[in-house]
Amino acid sequence: MNRNFKFILTICMLLAVIGASACIGEEKEGTAKGTGSGESSQELVVGISTDVSSWYLDTFAAGDARFVWSQVYETLVRLDSDLKIIPGLAESWETPDNGKTWVFHLRENVTFHDGTPFDADSVVFSYSNQSYVRQAVLKPVQSVEALDNHTVKFVLAKPMPLPYYLTHVAWPVMGPGCLDAEGDFVKPVGTGPFRFEGQTKDQEVVLTRNDAYWGDKSLLDKVTFKVIPEATTRVIALETGEVDMIIKVPEYDVQRLEAEEGIQVHRKLTTFTDFLQFNCDSSPFNDTRVRQSVAYAVDTEALVNEVLEGIGEPAGGRPYSPVMMYSDPDLKTYTQDLGKARSLLEEAGWKDSDGDGIRDKDGKPLKTTLIVSKGVWAVRHNPMAQVVQGTLREIGMDIEIQVLDEGAINKLESTGDFGMILRSGYFVWGPYPKHFFVHHSANPYSHYHNETYDQLVNAADMTIDAQEQEELYHSLQAFVIEEVPAFYLVHEEKVVATCPSVKGYTISSEDPWLNLSGVYLERK
Amino acid sequence: MWEYIAKRLAMVSVVIAGVTLVAFSAMYLAPGDPAEVIALARYGEDLSASQVETLREAEGLDAPVHVQYLIWLGHLLRLDLGKSLVTSEDVLTEILQKLPATAELAVASLLISLMIALPAGVLSALRKNTLLDSGCMFVSLLGVSIPNFWLGLLLIWFFALTLHMFPSFGYGSLKHFVLPALTLGTSLAAVTARLTRASLLEVMGQEYIVAARARGFDERTVLFRHALKNALLPVVTFAGMQFGYLLGGAVVVETIFSWPGIGKLLVDSIFAMDFSMVQGCVFFIAVLFSLSSLVVDLLYAVLDPRIRYDRHD
Repeated sequence: MNRNFKFILTICMLLAVIGASACIGEEKEGTAKGTGSGESSQELVVGISTDVSSWYLDTFAAGDARFVWSQVYETLVRLDSDLKIIPGLAESWETPDNGKTWVFHLRENVTFHDGTPFDADSVVFSYSNQSYVRQAVLKPVQSVEALDNHTVKFVLAKPMPLPYYLTHVAWPVMGPGCLDAEGDFVKPVGTGPFRFEGQTKDQEVVLTRNDAYWGDKSLLDKVTFKVIPEATTRVIALETGEVDMIIKVPEYDVQRLEAEEGIQVHRKLTTFTDFLQFNCDSSPFNDTRVRQSVAYAVDTEALVNEVLEGIGEPAGGRPYSPVMMYSDPDLKTYTQDLGKARSLLEEAGWKDSDGDGIRDKDGKPLKTTLIVSKGVWAVRHNPMAQVVQGTLREIGMDIEIQVLDEGAINKLESTGDFGMILRSGYFVWGPYPKHFFVHHSANPYSHYHNETYDQLVNAADMTIDAQEQEELYHSLQAFVIEEVPAFYLVHEEKVVATCPSVKGYTISSEDPWLNLSGVYLERK
Repeated sequence: MWEYIAKRLAMVSVVIAGVTLVAFSAMYLAPGDPAEVIALARYGEDLSASQVETLREAEGLDAPVHVQYLIWLGHLLRLDLGKSLVTSEDVLTEILQKLPATAELAVASLLISLMIALPAGVLSALRKNTLLDSGCMFVSLLGVSIPNFWLGLLLIWFFALTLHMFPSFGYGSLKHFVLPALTLGTSLAAVTARLTRASLLEVMGQEYIVAARARGFDERTVLFRHALKNALLPVVTFAGMQFGYLLGGAVVVETIFSWPGIGKLLVDSIFAMDFSMVQGCVFFIAVLFSLSSLVVDLLYAVLDPRIRYDRHD
């Protein structure tokens, strides 16, 4: 037998061995977990789309990081699953001077994961001048000082309903023990129901139960967040049992998962709303009537039912999710009326003089761009943009869709070289309608400049009287419906899917927050 | 021989300098202001102009492009690839963390591609114009045409979900390699198979093959002892090039299978306008590619005695 033949034979045997070991290995391990790995194994595996790239308070926790942060860190003020304000690490708070000074009374007998006590100094540390939250979000805060071990005073430059701002998990309370002697960040130290155990970059984050937690201790021993960037792979991983829970299920998989036996699909309206932001600084959208015609033309109900498979609620122009504070139940929203849309355009001087189906005025056609981002929410934004484009064509508007990355979008925004941008979220922190600030002239990303609007927004954010706030925010909602600085399309519905072993999960409206309290596993 | 290697290494340095210069310029010319994009990532939506400017100065993004490039080059000579503009972590550390995963996947994919392509190509050449030949070439055409994205998800659906044979994502055990390597390997195999077939056909038509047969050797000896070694030369070159390309990371496969490799790191950094990370990745990939092509050329000399680098012609 010549040696080449033996060589080939060896290769074949090698392949057979590799193949066999793959199969045998599989039997030994079982499919991930769940096949008899212990009846009381309370170890949950969650699939998320991005890794936690930062744990410290100097940057904004982007992507899905906040779902992980919400297990390790806590905030002074909390929300329940229906977005009602409840005490968090602060038991109570008051403002002696109508909103310029806020005093928080901290919960006692709480310790950080490293054993150090939670006290006023750690709050001062978490809201220091160098923190992201002070530099970006809470700019009006002039000082944060500890009055005693369990009392903290915030002094602001102008009155502000501060507690509402403090619910967001992106600026939680962190223990000073997270830094080493030189002041470098070592590891996350929080007060939450889980403590940081380990992280393998871009693969997983492992958390273990905090047995010294001040509240209801978790029933889970361990939570592992697996990073799976591709949405379809995440869904399949849930179906194979490799993960127990996934957040943000893509719309086109929801029906299939709901039909699957055992898999539970949890849905709830959250605080995010998709909107079409107009460039009100230049033609054609500098004319309110043209913006209104878009509002009358786009059928948000069809968008939800056809494009999003029924996931979400049509906004019809309502500027923020109805689950948030001061939402006006009597607000008159838009329903599709193509006739009205066309007549508004006619009124604005846009007529189809050359019969090509596109309106024109002074020789210029009604042609503009619609920008869609390549970001995390782009999956549903693309088909939504196409539907908008088709509808607007019917009333004689020619829309060009441009799908771009953040850098390119930034460029166009600064030069004002666009017609509309399809966005989601923006200034959505808990239940408070801070989002109105998007259209305030002081916001660099606002493309709308109206003094009345600015005044309304300022007034609403400077009062702490609930009645007054409600009136002002109702006026703002009506204003947005009337003047349409942006047309609001869909109120997002959060979808979380769990495998049959996961029990006790209550989905929360708050986004991005993962509520794991009360969750336990019953593996068969 | 060593003179040759020294000369090649010098050329490699020039190539890398050129590549990094082009990458740097491309990032600069791309739309968007890097300082703004990075500030947005760090500080969220509520950005102020002063924050952007502070960041611009701190990261040296206000200097003219060529100055920035020279500064980067200076750091490089001290083996300092700088820090990521987005995460402030050491670029070199991050790349080295991801490199093993990419390299292992590259090796696995190449192995699978060769295991499929070589037998297929050889059989096709020997049974030219039969059903087997057309069949193999048709399958190879499929392999080239099917997009990685689709094939990857299909394999996951079939092997992970339906058959529960392999995990659907992740990195860690031998089993995790199979599906991603299959996805990458099959498309590479397609081209390699065709190349093997063509090369073997050409060799089989040579005079020394006729002579070997005349000397009385049986077909198997003719094939394995004479034809194959020579036919494999272009295939080796091509495989080496493919390996270099694979070391650049396969973004699509890495995303689908959640494979912690360099490809996804590079693409994410480009979108985030993380200049340092992009430069670091491009530099690394250029080095690996150049070195692998150098190895291929040296391998050629081992395989073909006619090519020796110490001949002074």
